[in-house]
Amino acid sequence: MIIIDRLCYTSGLRYVNAMEKFVFSMLTLLLCVSSRSVTAAVLVLFVTGILTVGKGGIPLSRYIRLMSIPLVFLFLSTAAVLVNISRTPLDAFAIPFGSFYLTGSVKGILRGAQLILTALASVSCLYFLSLSTPLTDILGVLKKLHVPGLIIELMLLIYRYIFITLHTASAILTSQKSRLGNKNLRTARKAFAAMAGSLFILSVRRSCALYDAMEARCYNGRIQVLKEERPARYSEIFCIAGFEVFLFALIVVLKCKNSI
Amino acid sequence: MTRKQKKLIAGITVCSLMTGIYPAANAMHIMEGYLPVTFCIAWGVLCLPFAAAGFLKIKKTLAENPRAVTLLAMSGAFIFVISSLKIPSVTGSCSHMTGTGFGAILFGPCTVSVLGIIVLVFQAVLLAHGGLTTLGANTFSMAVAGPFVTYGIYKLCQKCRANRKAAVFLAASLGDLFTYCVTSVQLALAYPSESGGIAASAVKFLGVFAPTQIPLAIVEGLLTTAIVICLEAFAKSELKLIGYKGEA
Repeated sequence: MIIIDRLCYTSGLRYVNAMEKFVFSMLTLLLCVSSRSVTAAVLVLFVTGILTVGKGGIPLSRYIRLMSIPLVFLFLSTAAVLVNISRTPLDAFAIPFGSFYLTGSVKGILRGAQLILTALASVSCLYFLSLSTPLTDILGVLKKLHVPGLIIELMLLIYRYIFITLHTASAILTSQKSRLGNKNLRTARKAFAAMAGSLFILSVRRSCALYDAMEARCYNGRIQVLKEERPARYSEIFCIAGFEVFLFALIVVLKCKNSI
Repeated sequence: MTRKQKKLIAGITVCSLMTGIYPAANAMHIMEGYLPVTFCIAWGVLCLPFAAAGFLKIKKTLAENPRAVTLLAMSGAFIFVISSLKIPSVTGSCSHMTGTGFGAILFGPCTVSVLGIIVLVFQAVLLAHGGLTTLGANTFSMAVAGPFVTYGIYKLCQKCRANRKAAVFLAASLGDLFTYCVTSVQLALAYPSESGGIAASAVKFLGVFAPTQIPLAIVEGLLTTAIVICLEAFAKSELKLIGYKGEA
């Protein structure tokens, strides 16, 4: 039902140590966002793309379609960064509008391009993590990082309940559609509200029943399960460390070169 | 054609293009990697007190009543699912609700801030809406600012004994609009305009997102009203469980 969740369970990188994947994607993401270097962004885009598609076995067309999800936001807000409204035209382009100009500068356009590449590279880092690591594994990593137990417990339960709730919602929506519940805007809005209302009632009832069931199995505020240990391999750690150091060095060298 | 007619046609073309290029109007999540690091950290720090207050409140609730844990988790899942489903919108394009305003009316703003953070993490990881570096900024606009405004307006309307439907509608849609304004200001602070600074930039971001966000706020208000009315009619006992006071 949730496409990213389904894909990550079939990924070839699914059984690699979760901490390794987490550290790799977070470090790369941080370097990418903090440096805003175009070269680094292109490199990251390629490396994570090759890892997710090549090693992970996610179909390329799927990956491209997933990458286009945030494009609307990217397109609109970068347009807002590029275009200025002012009385004096800037150096790149200027479209007169009465006494004002819709205008932009060369520097602004370069900055926009840099922004787009950085944002895309960051999204590819996020996808590397979410398309290779199931959420339960990420929760294991968070536990090791000493996130409060209550939050992890809530996250685990919410993750489980999302699928139950989605299933109920889609069943209700299907039956509404089969009765022409979405004939026009008015009925569609009414149907949506009715669906949300009954979804809420069903969820609350089910949550009470679930607590009874959990209590009957000695639930005391923690769901304890045995973790499958997947030890990190030295070769993988070496590769990740090598890549991060290379990326860092590349960024520093480029920065120095630009400042001279 | 006269000049005026030409201008008119150009204007109509721009408008139709504007509505044509919005295939999916999401609530305004700032995407991964879009904000500079300093802003990511600053917004994150700003959210901490609210998250801590919510965390302590949840802890207290659970100490008094351990049964509430499944209820809270189910509420979080409910907010996630409501915000991930397509809603019938004005233009026929698909858009999504924020859901946090609705949560604030039912559960109160402190609880929603913690649930909101978890929901935003799930939205980033499972749906690629928003991101992990922009989590702080998104949390501030969607799980703190929006819900608090919604809750404030809702309580204010109750004090003034305003019409119930109007109260819920105003609270939900103004909360949504406020979220959109906060997000625009966040973007403007990070990317001030070359001519005119932060204020001009905020106006630009507000203008660019207005065609998606203003109809969305109205639809969200209408839907929230319908849902709350529906719940009060059919789910009195369930609402009592989550501590919702209703018309009192």
